[in-house]
Amino acid sequence: MKVGILDYKACNLGSVFSALYQLGIDPIIINNPKKLFEIDRLIIPGVGAAKSCIDYLKFNSFIEPIKKFLVNKPILGICLGMQIFAKKLYENGISEGIGHIDGEVKKLDTKIKFNIGWREVKFIKKIDKKLNIEDMSSFYYCHSYYISLKKNDYCAGMSYIDNNNEIPAIIYKDNFIGTQFHPEKSQTNGNKLLEFFLNWKKN
Amino acid sequence: MNFIRIIPSLLLSNKKLVKGKKFTNHINAGYPSSTCLALEGQKCDEIFIIDLDSYKSDKDPDFDSLSEISKNISTPITFGGGIKNIEQAKKAFKCGADKIYLSQILFKDKEIINKIRNIYGSQSIVAGINIMSHNQEHHLLEDKEKNIDILTHMKSLVQCGVGEIKITFVNNEGSEEGMNLDLSKKIISNIDLPIIFEGGLGNIEQIIDMIKIGANSFAIGSMITFKDYNIFKIKQHLFNKGYKVRF
Repeated sequence: MKVGILDYKACNLGSVFSALYQLGIDPIIINNPKKLFEIDRLIIPGVGAAKSCIDYLKFNSFIEPIKKFLVNKPILGICLGMQIFAKKLYENGISEGIGHIDGEVKKLDTKIKFNIGWREVKFIKKIDKKLNIEDMSSFYYCHSYYISLKKNDYCAGMSYIDNNNEIPAIIYKDNFIGTQFHPEKSQTNGNKLLEFFLNWKKN
Repeated sequence: MNFIRIIPSLLLSNKKLVKGKKFTNHINAGYPSSTCLALEGQKCDEIFIIDLDSYKSDKDPDFDSLSEISKNISTPITFGGGIKNIEQAKKAFKCGADKIYLSQILFKDKEIINKIRNIYGSQSIVAGINIMSHNQEHHLLEDKEKNIDILTHMKSLVQCGVGEIKITFVNNEGSEEGMNLDLSKKIISNIDLPIIFEGGLGNIEQIIDMIKIGANSFAIGSMITFKDYNIFKIKQHLFNKGYKVRF
């Protein structure tokens, strides 16, 4: 199986690459839409500002090929890599997202506008019976924008930032899984999630 | 309540880890990659890697060591020390850094914050504040004239768009005498950003004193390098006292 990592020139590509490599995968760096034909599943890393990422994807004609890819192959979006699948993003101005998920990406509504550190995930829906992660397992977060969903149907897990604010931690729809946390930086739990994605919807 | 973050703070020099006192007298403290792997095994929450050679000179930071470390672990890495321009920041992210630590450069070129923020987002920038103290008088290490107000400086960095702040009590560094509680309290109540505290921690009680005034993230050097503590042990002690830690 061939796994690609999308390189939008502003992400922690090295970290995702190493995490997959440790799981026995030789990832392919996708820096050109044509390369999407070479792979069976795609990971879109996080760490980046929304506008610069979306502008890069548009300028390099990635949007439509990504939508087509998603019709029959799985994509994992991490942090910003997940947020770009929303309809609208409000970081550094307004950008139009890929639109696969009915939601908007907004600034955190907490006193401290950054959510950095480990938080527990409360699973509210089972994506698949093969996802073997215990409820309230902890994952690493580093963000100041979150995805606000129109409908909670796509949300598999929530996470508390403080006592009053919870945000979608893991969402899924069709062939797409998105995590607000960074599985590539979440030690054992993160590896479990990556392994799950590598085997997800495999016959 | 959120998890207390315990972050090993590692100093890199000449491809090795070193540890000193009050920013001087650095002695060998191990091999970077294997040390980080061990720290991950102890469930550290993040790792800070500060390259001393590039901090002190115009050399490029040690990206090779960063790459090697990041290949072996899946723990968040903050890298810095001598990052002076956007190209070096880009290279650091490419080599496996998740956040960039900026300190000295913030006195010369605050525009670098904007440049990094526009591409990587504010959450990827940690601003370093080095505080010198003499009899309840405090000033910034880099401020030779002692005329910059510490809180004003920090607020201007928040305005510029950094995502996190690391406070280092330089005089306390390596001393194991504990942190400056009054000043820490003042900083926490004035700055609405995640704040990491470093410098002076030598035992669990000192960590608990800081938690009681509202701190929740600690960068630790001496305590795990030259003492009989390790991350797991520190967390176990905190857990026993009723604080939330991650194992």
